[in-house]
Formats: sequence, C-alpha cells, structure tokens
Amino acid sequence: MKLKFFATYRTIANCMEREISAPGDVWSLLQALAEEYGAQMRAKLFTPDGGDIGMDAIILVNGMNVAHLKGKSTELSEGDTVAIFPMVAGG
Amino acid sequence: MNAWVGVILRVDLAAKTIEREPLNMKDAHDFVGARGLATKYFCDEVDPNVEPLSPQNKLIYMTGPLTGTGAASGGRFEVVAKAPLTGTIGAANAGGYFGPELKYAGYDGIIFENASDKPVYLYINDDVVELRDAWGLWGKSVYETTDLLIAECGESFKVSCIGPTGENGCLFSGVLNDKHRAAGRGGMGAVMGSKKLKAVAVRGTGSVNVARPVEFMDALVDARQKLKEHPVGGTGLAVFGTQVLVNIINESGALPTHNWRDGGYFPEADATGGESLADNYLVKNKGCFGCSIDCARVTRVPDGPFKSEGEGPEYEAGWSYGANCGVSDLAAICKASFLCNEYGMDPITLGATIACAMELSEMGAIPESDVGFKLRFGDPHAIVNLTEMVGKNEGFGKTLALGSYRMAEMYGHPELSMSVKKQEMPAYDGRAVQGMALEYATSNRGGCHVRGYMTSPEILGVPIKVDPLVTEGKASLLKLFQDLTALIDSLGVCLFTTFGLGLPELAAQYKHAVGTDETDEEILLKGERIWNIEKHFNIAAGVEKDTLPPRLLREALPSGPAAGKVAELHAMLGEYYELRGWDADGVPTDLKNKELGLANEA
Repeated sequence: MKLKFFATYRTIANCMEREISAPGDVWSLLQALAEEYGAQMRAKLFTPDGGDIGMDAIILVNGMNVAHLKGKSTELSEGDTVAIFPMVAGG
Repeated sequence: MNAWVGVILRVDLAAKTIEREPLNMKDAHDFVGARGLATKYFCDEVDPNVEPLSPQNKLIYMTGPLTGTGAASGGRFEVVAKAPLTGTIGAANAGGYFGPELKYAGYDGIIFENASDKPVYLYINDDVVELRDAWGLWGKSVYETTDLLIAECGESFKVSCIGPTGENGCLFSGVLNDKHRAAGRGGMGAVMGSKKLKAVAVRGTGSVNVARPVEFMDALVDARQKLKEHPVGGTGLAVFGTQVLVNIINESGALPTHNWRDGGYFPEADATGGESLADNYLVKNKGCFGCSIDCARVTRVPDGPFKSEGEGPEYEAGWSYGANCGVSDLAAICKASFLCNEYGMDPITLGATIACAMELSEMGAIPESDVGFKLRFGDPHAIVNLTEMVGKNEGFGKTLALGSYRMAEMYGHPELSMSVKKQEMPAYDGRAVQGMALEYATSNRGGCHVRGYMTSPEILGVPIKVDPLVTEGKASLLKLFQDLTALIDSLGVCLFTTFGLGLPELAAQYKHAVGTDETDEEILLKGERIWNIEKHFNIAAGVEKDTLPPRLLREALPSGPAAGKVAELHAMLGEYYELRGWDADGVPTDLKNKELGLANEA
C-alpha cells in the first residue's frame, strides 16, 4: 500500500511517500510509525494518554477520513492509500 | 465611548463636502459593526435596484467594535456597496493595518456618496480631512499608489486604494490596503473607481477605549492563549500558510480541476501546495494588526521566466490558477497571484474565469483569434499573460474582466461558468463536500467560502468531525456557521480565530469592549439578523434564486471518495429554509422578521 506524509508529518518523516506492506489496521500503522520515527511523531499521532488518534492527526484512507470509517480500527489492504496530515486550514 | 469612536465621515464626492456625524449607536448595537453595520447603513440609504457603477451607489468603509482594541486578530474592516459582479449586497473584508488606523484617527467608518468629476483621494490626518487631487495616481498600480501616497503624506500613513482594474471597471477589482491585503470579492474596486476615488490615506494618533478594561484584558489573554495552543492558530498557519490546504483537499477528492470538469483530484497538486511553497519560495511569514497567527507569506521567485516577488499566493488563488487551470508550475501561480495584487483584482474570480476560457477554447467556442494565442489547460505562460492583459485592459483581457458568467454567456455557454449569482465558487468541490454545496448556493454574495466555511467540520474536523459525503445535519450546521461568520466579520476580527476560539471567547471580548451583559445567544442572534438583512436586500434587488451551476447538480464526480456523487442541493435546501424561518422560496417570514426586528426591511 501507499503511505503519504504531508506538512509537519513530511518534515518529521523526511519523506513524501513510500510503499509499505499493509498492516492490519490504522492503529497498527500508527504504532509502527511512532516506533520508527520516535517521540515527535508519537506526540502528534496520539492523544496524550496514547489511547486514540490525536487531535493533530488527520488520517485519510483512500481519501476518506477514518473518523467516518471505523476510526483507528479501519482495516488496511494492499492497494490502499493512506495520507497523514496535521490539522491544517486555509481559505 | 466604549469600543467605538462615535464618529462617521460622510464624503460627497460630487459636492466635495466632508461631514462628521455621530455613529448611530442603536444600529451599532443591533448590527454589531463592520459588515453588519455598514450593510444596515447601506440598506437604509440606497435603492436596492441602483446600478452598481452609477453615482447613486454608495461605498462604505466600516470598522468593527473590536477593530484596533487589541482583541485577538482584531484589525479588520469591511467595504460595502452594491456589487457590480453579482448585483447582490457586496461586502468584502480585509485585514492589515488600515482599519485600526482609521479608528485611531477618530472615525469608525466612511460613507462615500456620488462621484467625483476628476480623480481624488481622501487624506485623513486625525482631524484634518481633505479630498485631494489624484491625477498623478490615476493609472498607477496598487504598489505604486501606496508608495507615492506614503512619500507624499508621510511614512506613518496607511493606504487603501484601487489599482488600474478598479479604474477600468473590471467587475472583480478589489480595494487593497497595506499593498497586499484585499477587500477582494464582488468588485468593490470598480465601485470605487466609478466614483473616481483612487485611495484613502489615513494617519491616526488617538486610541480606542473599552468599557471594562480589566475584564477585557482577561478575555483577550485567554483568547490569545487558546489561539496559541491550537494546532492551526498556533503553528499550522504560520509554518505552511493557507496553501497547505491544497494536498488535503486534493487527497479528499475535492480539489476542482480543469474548470470543475475533470473531478476533484489533480495529480500534480503537491507541486503547488504549501509544502512546496515553503521549500522553494517562502522568504518569511507575517501577520496583520494584533494577530499572533501570522499566516501571510512573503514570497519570491528568484529566477526563471516567472521571476517575481510579493505576498501569497493564498490557497484559493493557488487553486484557481493551479488545479483549476491545470497548471502545476508554482512559480507561474505565484507570479499571476502577485499581479492580481499589483493591478488590484480578485485572483479567485480571475483564475476561475481563465479556467472557463480554457474549457471554452478547447471545445472551440472561443476562437483562437479572440484570445490571440492557442489557449489550453495546463499552460503556465497563459495564466500570467492573461492576468497581465486584464490588468492592462488589453485585448482578450477586456472580456475576461467581465468575469466567467458574462464571458461564457457571450460565447453561448453560460452553464460552463462555475459561479453562483455570477461570482465564481472557490476551491472546494461541493459534490465531494456536500455542506459546501449548500453554502455556495445560499451565500448572500454569490459563490464564496468565507460565509460559513463548512470545509472546517467536513474536511478538517474543526470543531467537530462531520462526514463530507452526507447531507444530513448540514443545513443546521451551515446556518450556525453563517450566523457566526457574519458576527465575526462584524466584530472586526479575523475568521481564522475560529481555529482556537468559539463563540464564548469571541463574545467575551465583545461584551467587555462595548460594556454589555447580553448572553452569548443574544450576541449570536445579531449574526442571524445581519444574514437576514443581507437576504432582504438581495430579494429587493431581484437577485436570482439559490442554486448551483448545472455541472454540480448533474455531472457526477468520476473518481475518488465521492465517485458518482453530484451536489445534493435539493436534499438540504428545503430544510435550510425551514431552519432559517424562511418560506419555500427562501423569503424570510413575517414571524422571523419580527423576531429579528427587521419588519421594516421586509
């Protein structure tokens, strides 16, 4: 599957996008990313208690916010695209 | 007087008279300030059927009660007139430093009446207010005009002016202050130009009092702290600017491409986004008066065919010239956007009008001989050259200066204008963000994103996460957002404060500034009153009904998360009217008018 980083996540990961093997679900993916990239990534991805996706993490699976799918339990498959954004705004 | 100076300037440009009159405090109470208060003055004084570019139209500058008080991001003001692009009430909001300076000079607002027989500018140096000759400024760009006036009047003056496009009647020319801040939409610049009013230069040495200084300071500190702690208001906008939205809207399948023809995903979008801007062209970020968000971009393209410097582009301009024109060259997008500021025009409408011309040209509806070259999607030189042509009022630029609707109508395809009430919709596809579809259709100034900003809950998840693909619940949320943004525009603070602040924090600053004990709900009701008086004006002016371009209603998105979707306006509009207390035709009922104290406006 394809993994894309944007804005501050791109800075932390020093990577725009890459191919990875699909983990079981979004939660597994986020745990793996926190493990790989360390404390700064963990602090942005998770709530302070570590129990949920944090306020500053917008996770899209094939363009849909996981909040409107199955949240952190959203399953991932080969062929999916996951895009990770901080909270951003514009206009 | 608390939060207000209490004085309005009334300038008759034909008679060359300048009068000071007391601010109508009842209207200031009921309609808050800035957008709301200027609209109330305008509706009381101007026939809704006035020809927008005739002397009988008026042009009103108005600050809000929080402008210049030190309130969080409280440096904004409004320019109001009947809009030549849309025929609706025109209200355009700007930041920068001009608004506070006007208040410090001793004036809450300025009402310009009639038209001068020769170019003039208004000079305000505290008590000294004069109409001065502007022949030497006529034809000058926004940047040149600003520099010349500061050289003439003094370094501490703040300047609001029009560029050549305002003089030439371009229907989407704006009024720009501090060089780069724009009251941009609807053609306020053309109204100003029709009055031969080139600029207002102001210097003020006074101050603004607030009613309860200690409580106001507490509210202000609380608001600033919350903004600082919010991921968007604190660091997000400062680091990447508004252009950072490109990628998230694109990945959500909602970035309109090729005049909204080819779906909501632009494969080259990343090259045009805020990350690329920061990596390649950002010099520094900056902010407006009293603002800690600092979202503005000072940018420079150092070399190449599009070598240029300026501020921006903001997200909407980046999209209109980028994905919407199929252009992925960020340097060209920057230059086109800078040119819009220099010539004084709205880049959303111009980029969208060029995109419409590109589609019409590709299908053979616009002959190559009319444009002067082969116009196709994806051509970075075309967006820059056509922007120059509009700026200089040359060749095909004269046609583009009419906006997309009138241009497309000339060539037999008005349905390909991606506009609502003749104003171009901005950068969110309503087929993929259903609440935005309802927002565009019902906006009181035509296609617009800042009269509600449903993208915030639907894409960004602020303040709540709402599924963009469903229609349920959108009407009630939009009504709330429309009323709230009407209130915020009227307070004189920036809409970006909503990324950190809610009604309680905004209302607290207002209450302690003006000295009222109204509840938050009573204050929000003023936003609803403002929305309704704008609607009354539009009905009286004969503005067309609330709908969307046929492309959004009939052509489904081809791919992405919203594949197969059209804008389901019919599923939301009736509920929206009902929640507003309007009848099935969108007309406010007597009951609603009575509730809002607008019986005389009906």
